[in-house]
Amino acid sequence: MKKSPPLTKQDSVMECRDPVCGMRETDSFVFLEKKFGGISYFFCSEICATRFKTNPKKFSVEPMIHLHDLWKTFRTGSVVTNVLRGVNVHIWKGDFTAIIGASGAGKSTLLNMMGLLDRPTSGGLFLEEKNVADISDEERASFRSKKFGFVFQQYNLIPWLNAYDNATLPLVFSKINDGGQKAKIQSRFKEVGLWERMNHRPSELSGGEQQRVALLRAFANDPEIIIGDEPTGNLDSETGNKILNILIDLNKIEKKTLVIVTHDADIAARADQIITLRDGETIPGHLLHKKTYTG
Amino acid sequence: MLKDLLLLTLKGIRYRPMRSWLTIIGIVIGIMLVVIILALSAGTTDAVNKRLQMFGSDLLIILPGKETSIVSGLFGGQKFSFNDIIDLEKISGVKTAMPVDTGTLNADFKGEKKAIFIHSSRWNRLRPIFEESRGAKMANGSWPTDEDANEVVLGYLAANSLFHDKVRVGDEVIVQSKRLRVAGILEKMGEQNDDNSFYMSWSIFHLVSGTKPGAMTAIVKIRSRENIDLVARQIRFQLEQQKEVRDFTILTPAATTEIVGGVLKLVELVLLIIALVSLVVGAVGIMNTMYTSVLERTRQIGVMKAIGASDDAIMSLFLIESGIIGIVGGVLGITLGLLMSYLIGVLVETFGGVILFSFASVDYSALFVIIIITFATGVLSGILPARQASRLEPAEALRYE
Repeated sequence: MKKSPPLTKQDSVMECRDPVCGMRETDSFVFLEKKFGGISYFFCSEICATRFKTNPKKFSVEPMIHLHDLWKTFRTGSVVTNVLRGVNVHIWKGDFTAIIGASGAGKSTLLNMMGLLDRPTSGGLFLEEKNVADISDEERASFRSKKFGFVFQQYNLIPWLNAYDNATLPLVFSKINDGGQKAKIQSRFKEVGLWERMNHRPSELSGGEQQRVALLRAFANDPEIIIGDEPTGNLDSETGNKILNILIDLNKIEKKTLVIVTHDADIAARADQIITLRDGETIPGHLLHKKTYTG
Repeated sequence: MLKDLLLLTLKGIRYRPMRSWLTIIGIVIGIMLVVIILALSAGTTDAVNKRLQMFGSDLLIILPGKETSIVSGLFGGQKFSFNDIIDLEKISGVKTAMPVDTGTLNADFKGEKKAIFIHSSRWNRLRPIFEESRGAKMANGSWPTDEDANEVVLGYLAANSLFHDKVRVGDEVIVQSKRLRVAGILEKMGEQNDDNSFYMSWSIFHLVSGTKPGAMTAIVKIRSRENIDLVARQIRFQLEQQKEVRDFTILTPAATTEIVGGVLKLVELVLLIIALVSLVVGAVGIMNTMYTSVLERTRQIGVMKAIGASDDAIMSLFLIESGIIGIVGGVLGITLGLLMSYLIGVLVETFGGVILFSFASVDYSALFVIIIITFATGVLSGILPARQASRLEPAEALRYE
């Protein structure tokens, strides 16, 4: 039986070549063979093959983030909880991906795995082809510093630092002592309407203002991937929309990869890809299969 | 990066000033005690040595009791016979041997009663020893010469501040119902005990006190250019023949300095141990504060890790903070310690006439070492909490409420 080129170099098990499906080959399941540009690819269904066809150039290279059969288990005393159960996810460079699901489905845990904030119990976690599941704490810190920008629901600004110090804090940890980068952050304070509030501490700022500072902090190191855990969850709809627009502009104009956990169907509707989680598993063929890739 | 982390820490400390200061106070107290002890011990040793020199470098003191139990010997009631002491003058190196008996008796001046300390000996021995070796000078009046005359000499403080009214030469003082005329008043000698005393002839003292005549102590003045240790050995040999006092001690100026110095060192050591214990308590205080701080800032540690802080950076933040607490505590402790030493010095100088403290005699290199020690104490106390903070998993820390 012919097989698709493996999705990752470390991966020898064949998966459906659909960019979001992640279905794996089993004895009882026969994959369809389709040819694009003279190369054979295998799919679990016609729907998956159709999605691939929308942008073969994009989907035939390695994804930015690839979670392969990823498990996360928490133990509290004798109680074992499998929060993620063999999740397969592909995040493509420059995409806006929304992760949705009920409370307790494992959305935040999945996001923590992608952002290297937590370690998987088992499975593969690939960042631009490199397996980062078992790298050292120092390497993970370095990746977080250079590749990721985080936005949280609770804003999570450091209370004893003013807005400017909060926004430039990632530069301290990435050892970037670049006046240019600081000047860029300062000018962004103007763009988001916080120029006058730069010297205020978080306790002196409104929720919307705090989240804008948190956005500036997330952009400080000019990361490739922005990760948001319900970034508009604590804001009213108008402020939430403003924050979301800033994020989507960043995704569309600066081609940053954007991954957001949300409960809001309107936000999910604006995403390129939707990942639905239920009880720690992705649901193939659910919402995501109704979605059409625009590239 | 270190500069940035330092600034970050300082901003954090300023955000929680009360807790930071309370922790610093824990260190300040220990260091202040250490500095006071170090600053005053040199002054105290100096003062004691000066006092011993003032006593006279050509004098030997003979006391009943063994060297190891001088105090019990003094209160044991054993007395040398008057003649056994006078006989010491037969030794060629001895110029004057003065038997001394002392006691505390009631004195009445113009109806005001006081307990007073009395030195007694023969006038012809008291005078030369006090004048030549102790620097005593008669301020008013004169030394009596008649052993049986009802006369008394007063120290400077006994005449001027013991009673409400000042005592003058010619006044009458009643000691144990005996009327005595004040024949002379001495100038200040600088020794509180001597300046507060009454001086009486041997016979009058035993008459008014009703005690058995005998010498509780003896002071021996040796001739100039004599070897004091050799004379002391000769005195020991001769006194071993007498039968009144079995065990006795001969204190040479060197032996006295050694004994007093030893006691001072011991006291200093005990005080230093107490001070160091309080420093350890201060260090535990820092550790406690840092652990609380780690718990309180768990979420912020998670945020900092999420935005790229490495384990080392988080550890550095906490170590810098505990080091700053240590070093600020050290500097403040030294400053307050010096200030307190100065104030104690001024008080002691005003009331006791002794200079215990001067900035010139402070060992500034020791203070520098103290600053290093406090910084190290701060950093060491912070290591365990800092390690705990640095090892937190970012996701776990972010979940912390």
